[in-house]
Amino acid sequence: MKQTLFSASLANGITLLGEHLPELESVAIAFHTPAGAIHDPVGRCGLASLSGEMCLRGAGDRTSRQIVEALEGAGIQWSQAVSTTHASVSGAMVSRRLPDALPLYADIIRRPRLAGEELEPARQMMLQNLAGTEDDPVHRTMLALRELHFPTPWGRPAEGVSADVEALAIDDIRRFVASHAQPQGTIIAIAGRIDWDDFVARIDRLFGDWQPGTPATVTTGPRGPRVAHVPHDSQQTHIAVAWSLPPYRSDESYEATAALGILGGGSSSRLFTEVRERRGLCYSVSSGYQTHRDFALALCYSGTTAARAQETLDVILAEIERLPGTITAEEVDRIKARAKSQLVMQQESSAARAGAAARQWYHLGTVRPLTDELARYDALSVESIERWLAAQPPKDLSIVSLGREPLEVPRALSA
Amino acid sequence: MPFLHERLDNGLDVIAETSTAAVSASLGFFVNTGARDERDAEWGVSHFLEHMIFKGTADLSGDEINRRFDGMGASANAFTSEEDTVYYATVLPERQREAVELLARMMRPAIRAEDFDTEKLVILEEIRMYDDQPPFGADERCRAAFFGGHPLFRSVLGTVESIGGLPVETMRDYHARRYAPNRMVLAASGAIDFAALVADARRWCGHWKPEAESAPRLVASQPRSAAVPAVQQIERPAATLAYAVRAVAGPDEHHADRFAAKLLTTVLGDSSGSRLYWEFVDTGVAEQATLHHQEFLDAGLFVSQLSCAAEDAPELLERIAALYRQVSREGIGREEFEQARNKLAGRVVLAGERPRRRLFEVGGEWAHSGIYRTVGESLAIVESLTRDDLHRVLEAWPLDAPAATIIAGPPHIAP
Repeated sequence: MKQTLFSASLANGITLLGEHLPELESVAIAFHTPAGAIHDPVGRCGLASLSGEMCLRGAGDRTSRQIVEALEGAGIQWSQAVSTTHASVSGAMVSRRLPDALPLYADIIRRPRLAGEELEPARQMMLQNLAGTEDDPVHRTMLALRELHFPTPWGRPAEGVSADVEALAIDDIRRFVASHAQPQGTIIAIAGRIDWDDFVARIDRLFGDWQPGTPATVTTGPRGPRVAHVPHDSQQTHIAVAWSLPPYRSDESYEATAALGILGGGSSSRLFTEVRERRGLCYSVSSGYQTHRDFALALCYSGTTAARAQETLDVILAEIERLPGTITAEEVDRIKARAKSQLVMQQESSAARAGAAARQWYHLGTVRPLTDELARYDALSVESIERWLAAQPPKDLSIVSLGREPLEVPRALSA
Repeated sequence: MPFLHERLDNGLDVIAETSTAAVSASLGFFVNTGARDERDAEWGVSHFLEHMIFKGTADLSGDEINRRFDGMGASANAFTSEEDTVYYATVLPERQREAVELLARMMRPAIRAEDFDTEKLVILEEIRMYDDQPPFGADERCRAAFFGGHPLFRSVLGTVESIGGLPVETMRDYHARRYAPNRMVLAASGAIDFAALVADARRWCGHWKPEAESAPRLVASQPRSAAVPAVQQIERPAATLAYAVRAVAGPDEHHADRFAAKLLTTVLGDSSGSRLYWEFVDTGVAEQATLHHQEFLDAGLFVSQLSCAAEDAPELLERIAALYRQVSREGIGREEFEQARNKLAGRVVLAGERPRRRLFEVGGEWAHSGIYRTVGESLAIVESLTRDDLHRVLEAWPLDAPAATIIAGPPHIAP
């Protein structure tokens, strides 16, 4: 599989990543600055998110409204988001629009106005979104699980908490942007129909004179209890179970994600077969892999009527416990086929490729070619997965339930 | 992107939009059946049957179907709406023939009684899952209030009572009545071998018996206004926000003004950069305020959706109606029109790059109208639209007409 990958770095620490996909008319670009929620001070949970929103509300010589009109008037599909580690703005567009789009993004990132009169509407917008997530039981369950499982501050919600957001002041935001939105650690990834040299020259003109500051450090603290129940007046009880896995940058992460895929990825997985197909206990049941740079978790989820929630949890735990020693060759073949399909098909999406490049750079410090990724999946075997499972069987489970009644958790797995 | 079409002797249409740039092949059966085709005693059967299709045929078990899809690395799924039931898979091109075989064989399911009983539990969980999410119920109730006695009033999922009381024989009858080859389309997009597709369609579907005379799907009276133009409230004790849905008539899917209707909703109620966005969302007054156009064979709707603090809902609904009155008086501005048209054009181009998205566009349009339109033709339609087109839509389908409105939220909302 032929791929045309590029990378470059500016003197101030910005990394540029590119992939040329000549079959596409579009380009997708994403700017990731290291202004993530991990840097929210205690008592100001949501500061990074509110800062990210404020950066769109007026930048350079444009008002909030003029920025959106300029982006959308050029047919750019844009988005803005703040994750645990990064503040990101991105866009997908017909490639000829790129030269006009880049200065807009440069303004948003380098010259946000952070005007006092925009603070209240931005804050109200965030509070509305936080109130909306109260009505999303699955989202609340996942938030509770991440908070429980990851050591502080890695499990804190990037979207913030209402009481903290209420108290944020404009000076908090100006200080946060000044110290965290900076070139060192910033990744700019582009994919699609690109002219790499022209792109690097444009970025250098727009970002080359951005002065680096001091990179912020994060102190990782303790983690909380392993089991929690969130009372909620719903018909269904939502269950999430997690345990620690090696992060993506570890060579073992392929074995780990394969084992997790066998457990609960796809409709032939063990959880889907045993919980839904065999017993009809739920509509959704799945497992997934979430990784930070230094640690990762396996996450199983299901939602089911309160009366059948205990049985659902029991079956999930039994399947997790049964995993080591029972992996079959057919299961490994299916995992390989699924991984290969997904990797190859990513090439039809400029946004997916730009996202993958940035993610890999952050985690690995390099962009792994598709052939390399495919070879790593091809090298998986029953033996390699079993070897890994024997060394690191699922243990120390974190378990969250959300619903009317708490569930009984057997001591052995969660002790 | 060449378009190819062949009709089998039994009436099954086989169509493909092929692309040499694509690395994937998307395939799907589009069945002209959905909730509107159900009789009273069949409420919810279309969607329940969609689940049962995955539970196996006389010589394939449900587990085997799941294993085969995962084994070919397919991303496979299905959905049911008021008018369509669609089964689809995206695979790498070398898996095309396997995927066609599996999908085709699935269209003649066994519908075993014991599978039916287990899957009924899954459907009931799905109903409860949506029940726990306040926005969903409001949408369905609003459609029911708008359509009154018209067949489109029926919700796709059915109710706990209708599903609970459904006998397996009713589903077998429905399948025999609705899954005739002359009601179905086998559509494909991407890297497709069309000769193989037609040969496989003949082999696996050629013996299906056509229905001698298709009963018409349309009813004589087309709803042009809300059956119940009033505000109704649903109490959701656990909800944090209130969710309001407001429906008035719009053009149906055969009307030439359907494209102008889409552009009109982009100007007024897109999720960013629209009139509703700037007035309600950007200011943090509401969590969400959008307007979109839904089209059916013989009816269309303009649907406004609002989520906000419960006590604000009645006033904000009034402000939305006032905004619509103002638009019908003063019309659409030149700049907002240009911006929305560019935005819509950008979406058409970007969506056109994804073979998986094209499958639904191409297959859906063909299944309803027997029309094929290239991405370029769709783009030309969008680019030819003028403000006069939008003003004509505003006059023919007034947004400030008496509406069916549902507010779902915490109790005691002032009227």
